This record gives sequence, C-alpha cells and structure tokens, in this order.
Amino acid sequence: MDENRIRRFSAWRIVEHWVFTMIFAVLVVTGLAQKFYTLDISMWVIFRLGGIDYLRLVHRYAGIACLAVTALHAATALACVASGRWRPSMAITGKDFSDVVRNIKYYLGIKGRPALCDRYNYRQKFEYWGVLLSAFIMVATGLVLWFPIFFTRFLPGDVIPAAQVMHTNHGLLILLIIALWHIYNSIFSPEVFPVDPGMFTGHISRERMVREHPAELARIEGKTIHEIIEEYNDTKIRERLDLN
Amino acid sequence: MEGMVRKLIALLFIAAVFTISHAEAGNVVLSDEALGCLQCHSRRGIIKTFENKEYLEAYVEAEKFTDSVHNWLKCSDCHTDFLPGEQHPDRRFASREQYKIRTALACRRCHNFEQINNIPLHTRLLSDEEAGNPHPCTNCHGSHAVKPVSRKTYKSEEQYCLNCHSHKLTMEFRDGETLTLKTEVSSLQGSVHKRISCSDCHFGFSHSSHPQRNFRSRRDFSIANSETCRRCHFDKYTKTMDSIHNVMLGQGNLEAPVCTDCHGSHSILHLGRERTLIANKCRTCHSVVYEKYIKSVHGKALFDENNQDVPVCIDCHTAHDIKNPLTLDYREQIPDMCSNCHADKTIMNKYGISTDVVKSYLSNFHGVTLRFYRKQREELDKPAKQIAVCTDCHGIHTIISTRSAAPAIVKARLVKRCKQCHEGATENFPDAWLSHYKPTMASAPLVFIINQAYRIFIPFMVIGIVLQILLHIWRYTANK
Repeated sequence: MDENRIRRFSAWRIVEHWVFTMIFAVLVVTGLAQKFYTLDISMWVIFRLGGIDYLRLVHRYAGIACLAVTALHAATALACVASGRWRPSMAITGKDFSDVVRNIKYYLGIKGRPALCDRYNYRQKFEYWGVLLSAFIMVATGLVLWFPIFFTRFLPGDVIPAAQVMHTNHGLLILLIIALWHIYNSIFSPEVFPVDPGMFTGHISRERMVREHPAELARIEGKTIHEIIEEYNDTKIRERLDLN
Repeated sequence: MEGMVRKLIALLFIAAVFTISHAEAGNVVLSDEALGCLQCHSRRGIIKTFENKEYLEAYVEAEKFTDSVHNWLKCSDCHTDFLPGEQHPDRRFASREQYKIRTALACRRCHNFEQINNIPLHTRLLSDEEAGNPHPCTNCHGSHAVKPVSRKTYKSEEQYCLNCHSHKLTMEFRDGETLTLKTEVSSLQGSVHKRISCSDCHFGFSHSSHPQRNFRSRRDFSIANSETCRRCHFDKYTKTMDSIHNVMLGQGNLEAPVCTDCHGSHSILHLGRERTLIANKCRTCHSVVYEKYIKSVHGKALFDENNQDVPVCIDCHTAHDIKNPLTLDYREQIPDMCSNCHADKTIMNKYGISTDVVKSYLSNFHGVTLRFYRKQREELDKPAKQIAVCTDCHGIHTIISTRSAAPAIVKARLVKRCKQCHEGATENFPDAWLSHYKPTMASAPLVFIINQAYRIFIPFMVIGIVLQILLHIWRYTANK
C-alpha cells in the first residue's frame, strides 16, 4: 500500500455518502420549487415532473428515502460504537470548543499553529451533527405536513403551520450550510482544491493527515503528536514554531 | 331628342295642374249640403248616446273639414243614412266602437278593397278584419279631418308609427299565441333609447314598407327581434356569443334569455344605476339562487341598507359573457372575483375587513396549489383536481359574515367544511388554518416564535460560516 495515502472511509461509507447526496439533491430541487413557487425556474421544474402533484409525491418519497438512509446510518453507528468496533470519533468533546477558539486565533495570527484535531475536526462534526439532526427535523415536520389529519388527532392544530414554517426555514438553513460550508471545505478550500478525494477513493494523502488530523495519524502510526507536528511542510508554520 | 321634348312637355303640364290645384285650395267652397249640416254640427253639445252608455259628440270642426281632402264631398256621401231635408234616422248602436265600425264602412264605397290592399301596411289589417277583428279606417286616418297620406306631416317617425301602434293592434303567431303591437308612449319616453327612431331597431320597416313576417311562436319573434341590438351594441353581442345562455339557446332551449329578456324592449333602462334591479332581473329565472342571495351578507346589505358596494349577480357572473359556473375554469377564477373587492383597501377599510385575506389565501397551501393547477392546465393541458377556493369555505350565494356568529359556532361550521375534503378531520384541524391572519405572538405564538428564531438564526449561521471561510483563505495566503 502506498505509504503516502491513508485509508479514511470504507466503501460502505462512500456509498452511503453518495446515496444521501442524491436524495438530498432531489429534496432540494423539489423543495425549492415549492418554496419559491413564483419563480419561472420553479415552474419549469414542476412542469418537467408532470405537475405539482407528482412533484409533491417525488419530494415525499425522497423524504422517506432520506429517513431510511439516516435511520440506517444512525442504527449502524450506534451498534458499531456500542460493540466497540468504531471509536466514538464523532462525539462532541470539550476539545472541539477549544479547537474553534484555537483555530480562530491561528487564523488571526495570534497562535502559531492550528488546533491538533483527531479523526474529525470540529467543522466536520458540526456538519455531521447538523445534517443528522436536520434530517430528523425535516422528516418529522415533513410527516406532519404530509398527514395533517392524523397529527391533529392528538396535537393542537397550530402544530401544522408551525411545522410548515420550521420545514421551510430549516430546509433553507441546511441547504445554505451544505452549499457554503461543505462545498467550500471539500472543493473550493485551497487545501483540497480541485476536490477532496476522501469520498471518491476513500483515501487522503498522508500530508493532509499531518496538517488536518495529526492526532489520528499519531495513533495510527504509533508516534507522539509532536513527532507528527515536526512533519509540517508549511514553511511559515515551521518558522513560527521554530521547527527548522 | 324627341323623348326629351316629350318629357319636358309632360313636366310643364304637371306643373301647370299643380299650380291650378293649389290656387284652388286657397278658397275652398264647401257644398251647400255641408254648409247646411254645419249650421248645427259646428256647434258643441249634440250628443249621441250608445246602449252601453258611451257617448259621442256629433261635432265637426268646420275648419279642419274645410282643410281636409274630402272637403268637396257632401256629408251624405259618407253618412248615407242621412239625406238632406229629411229627418235624422233613429239608429241604435251597442257601443261607440260598433258605431265607428259601421260608419267607417262608408269609406269602402270609394276606396275599394284592391286599392286599400295595395298598401302593405293595410294587408295585415284587412286579413285581421276577415278574421272578425275590424279596424275602422278612421282609427288611423281620422274622420272629418282626413288628409292624403302624402300631405300628412309627422314630427317624427315615432309619431308616424304610433299613429297605428298606439291602437290595439295584435299579431298572431302560427301556434295561435298573440302579441299586442300597441306601444305605450310613456315607456318610450322613459327609455334610454328615446332619441332613436323606431326603424333604427325595427329595420325593414319604413313609411312605405311593412314586411310581412311569419313566426312560429311569440318566443321565436322575441329571439329574432333581439338580433337587432347588435347593430349598435356589437361589443356586447360578441360577448353574449360566449355566454352559457347563448350556448343553451344554440342547444335548442328557447327559454334561454336574449337581450330583451333582461333589458326590456321599448322601456330599456340603465340597469347599473339601481343594482337591486339587476338581482331582480336574474330572479326571473334563478329564483332559488335569488332567495339564497338576499339572505347573504352581500344581499342583505344591498336590499336592507341599499349598499351599492356589495356584489350583485353580474359582478361575479358578468353580464354578457356569462360562463357556466360549474366548470373548473370558472372555479379557478373565483379568488380573482372575490379579490376584485376584497383586495381593494378603499372598499374594505369602510367595513374594517383586512385585505390580507386574499394574500394569505394565495400564499397558503390551497392558494399556491390552485396557482399551480391553473398554470398546469394552461401549459400542460392537464386536467387538474379541485382545490379549495373562497366559496368552498364561505359558501357561494349563502356567504355570511364570520362576525355574525360566536367563534365556537364558526369553528364548528368550519370543521364541517374541512371534512368535505379532509375526511376524518377533527376539532383541532381547523386551527391548522391561521384564519387569514399573519401569524403574530397573540394569534399563533408557536408559528411566530419559530419564524422569528429562524429569521435570526439563518443570517447568523451564514455570516458566521462566510467569516470562517474568509479567515481561512486569508491565513492560507498569509502562510504562503
């Protein structure tokens, strides 16, 4: 195996990612067409799908698929973490908060090096939990909107417009987070541009592991974190850390 | 050349005769007999009483008789029972009408049937006479003051026509129905058409021509006659071509209304001035709907308060291009109809009604779906399903104010309405509808709070992420 590449994601995780991406894309297109119904482009989408009724059906079944993928993932993750097969690497810890502060200080030039992150940094954790929780919020509010008569049997009526407001706003929020944060981090960020290969090949370069996930790399290679830091190839950081 | 000379001579001859006859007209000499009769009959007070107590004054205006075309006749030429120098015969008549009929028979002594029948106007009268309905000549031509038609001067065409049509004339149709041709002067005077002439509408009729027409029924006659309106009101006529009434007429329903059924014929009025008139016109056929309408919030305001803001039939159904209200096309137009008034602040402010009702409908599930269905039908030509419009909750002709009942009653009624489409809807279900109000802390706290939270949270997140990205790029370039 190539010494310079580190395996990060198994085939299953990659398949899961791209299935979810497709479902997400369908939900975004059909959802936005409903949210911004006065736009011509929305009308175009709706007519392509054969009318609003079909579009709503597609949106709802995509929602069901979204629930299935999310639930399957959550169940797998819980089972694997509980059985000890996975480390609880996505768990939010106190270090994540100090990492945020550390990184902002580093960006502003106050600190010499960025936070030393483990398998997932705080940005990835934020996206992961954001998407996971949002998926459950969107599915829950979506079901309320799909079956209003059933839900008003035991819930007050204003839950329906509340669910509507939440569904539409939260949908926009999650879209903006993905479109800005995730697309930046995995495509346009100068550290990965033109694309982060992690979710295509499952591997990333060892060099990126050094910079982005030194704690994990140290664990994999049985080294101390300081030994890893010394491999930083960023001259400015090396200068500031006096590693040369 | 020879022809020209002959014509010239003929013209000269005619002119000469004309001049002589006019010179003579200046100093008419009445017959001795006439002068004798006039000694008594030019004075008032000679009364002839008939058996039904009607009476007639045997008075002759000497001046008018002198001016009449018959001034050269002797009285006994017409009044054949009376001979000069003899006692007046004692005659008995049932009525004045009978007297007139008998006396007018004298005309026929000189003016024979063929001569009278030659004039188209007379043909109907003569055939009517054969059927036992005599029309005395004197009804139209007068008696002692009779003038040649050519010398009669009418102030207007109307006066000419009314000369006969102010009398009891009737027209018979093939099915035996009759129609009176008597026209009331008062109705013509009150009509918006008082300035136009009879033949403007009754085209084909003139001083010289009086076409004979043969209609199967009175209704056929009305339908055919209403075609005349389009000669001026072509815009309205083309609109009626698309109306359900015209479609029904085309399908053979002769009861479907034509112009004159709503507007009248000789007494056409401006209906717009008094809107109750409009509702009453429609009532003629649509009485069931009318009864519902007058009990509605709109109908009550119109009839009880004479409120001219409220819609009457034509405001929703239009006046001329009335569409079938049971079609999907019509149904999809309903929010537009209501918003004609309910989106108009100047009208709604008077009654304290919010114009948000229309906006909130259009931006909610039902309104948005309706919008899609309309477009889909226009562009994909797809049949659309029905979706709730204003009338599905508020009623069609029975619309009442939601303020006219206690909120609990309104809500109970609303549950019923919801159930018509949403089978199994419970008491809670109507609360899903924010009652046409924008959500506020007071009206819908949950919706309001969630909305406000996202209004703050979304920009906060976006700005935070963008700042992080910018900082990251800045650090990366600074490190290079």
